[in-house]
Amino acid sequence: MFFFALIVILVFSFSFSMDQQAARELIAGILWVAFAFTGIIGLGKSFSAELQNDCLEYLQMSPAPKGAIYLGKVAANLLFIVTAEVILFPMFVIFFNLDVVEDLPVLLLIFFLATLGLSTVGTLFSAMTVQIRAREVMLPILLLPLAVPVMIAAVEATRGALNGNPLALYRHWIELLVVFDVVFTVVSFWVVELILDS
Amino acid sequence: MVAIRGLHISKSYGHYRILEDLSFEIAAGECYALFGPNGAGKTTLLRILATLHRPSAGRLEILGRDAIQEREVVREALLLLAHGSHLYDELNAVENLSFAMALRAASPTDREVKVALDQVGIGAFAELKVRYFSAGMKKRLAMAKAILAHPKVLLLDEPYTSLDETGMVIMNRYIQALLKEGASVVMATHDRIKSAEVADRAGVLTHGVLRPLTREDLKTCDLF
Repeated sequence: MFFFALIVILVFSFSFSMDQQAARELIAGILWVAFAFTGIIGLGKSFSAELQNDCLEYLQMSPAPKGAIYLGKVAANLLFIVTAEVILFPMFVIFFNLDVVEDLPVLLLIFFLATLGLSTVGTLFSAMTVQIRAREVMLPILLLPLAVPVMIAAVEATRGALNGNPLALYRHWIELLVVFDVVFTVVSFWVVELILDS
Repeated sequence: MVAIRGLHISKSYGHYRILEDLSFEIAAGECYALFGPNGAGKTTLLRILATLHRPSAGRLEILGRDAIQEREVVREALLLLAHGSHLYDELNAVENLSFAMALRAASPTDREVKVALDQVGIGAFAELKVRYFSAGMKKRLAMAKAILAHPKVLLLDEPYTSLDETGMVIMNRYIQALLKEGASVVMATHDRIKSAEVADRAGVLTHGVLRPLTREDLKTCDLF
C-alpha cells in the first residue's frame, strides 16, 4: 500500500516541474489517485484473514450482529488508510513544495470524511467479493463507480482548501461527503447482514 | 425435551437433490452419529443445523425456536466444529480463544482459558501462533473453544479426523461431559468405533435419505 503511493508521488513529482500555483491546481487529483488506489489495495485485504481455516464461516454463524462485525472492519480499514495518508501527505507537501499550514485542519477533515466514505463502501464490497475467485479484479470494478461521488467531492474540497479559498466556496463538497458517509454507513450496516448470511 | 426437530427438510443445489424430505428429532442430552458415504449430504445437513445453509424446503426447530427465522437467537446456543478449524493463523491459541468468545459475547477469565487448553492437552502452546500448529493441535484448540463456549447444541463434522489416540479420548470425554450437562451433540463421522462410545443413536444418510441404525448395525453390517 505504502510503496504504491510512494511511487505515485515520485512519478508525478518528477513528471511535472511546476510552481506552487500550478501544483495547487493539480495536486488534489494526484493526491486522491494515490490515496484511493492505496486504499483499494488495503480494502481488498479486509476479509483475507477470514479466508484461512474457514474463519468467515465462524463469523457467519456467530451470534454477533453482522453489522457490528462490519463496523469493526470499517474502523480497521479507516485507521489503516488514514495512517497511510498521514505518512504520505507530508511527502506530497515536500515533493510538490506546498504551503498547507493554515488549511491543515480542514484538509484533515476532508481526508477523514472521504476516507470514511471509501471505507464504508469498500468494506461492503470486500465482504461481497471475498468468496469469489477473481476478488482482486472484482473489488475495484464494483467499488470505483460507486466511489465516484466521494472522489469528486474529495478532489474539489481538497483543491478548494489547498488554493486557500474561503470555506463557503467549497463547503458543499464537504457536506456531500458527510451525506455520502451517513447514507452508505446506514445502508451498508443493514445490507451486510444479507451479504454475510447468504 | 426435543432439542433439534427437522420436519421434511430437503436441500438441492441446482438439479442435484442432496437431502430428501428428512424428518428427525434429537433430544436434549442425546448424541446422534451420522454416517454416510462421501457426498451423501452429511456436511450439508450439519451446515443446515448450524444455520449456515437454508433448507430448500422444510422446517427446522432448535431448542424450540425456528432456526431459519430466528437464527440469531439460535446461534447463541449452537457451535459447529467443522473441517476448517475456524482459527486465525496469525493469532496465538489464547488470542484465538479470546476472539472467538468475544464474538459470542463471552469473556472467559485467564484461568478458564488455561484450564480449557490444559484439558485438551495444548496448555504448553498457549502463546504459540496457530500457523505453527499441526492439524491435530488445531482440532484440539477448536475443542477448547467449544469447552469455553458451553454450547447447548454441538455439531461436529469429522470430529476424530487428525486427532491422535489421546486426542480422540479427550474428544469423547468432552462429549460425554457435555451430554451430562444436557447438551445435544450431532456428529458426522466415518469412525464407527469411536463414535459408538458416545452416540446414543445413529443414522446413515444415503442418496439424501436418512435411515436409522441400531448399535448392532454399527458393529456388524455394511452401512452403505
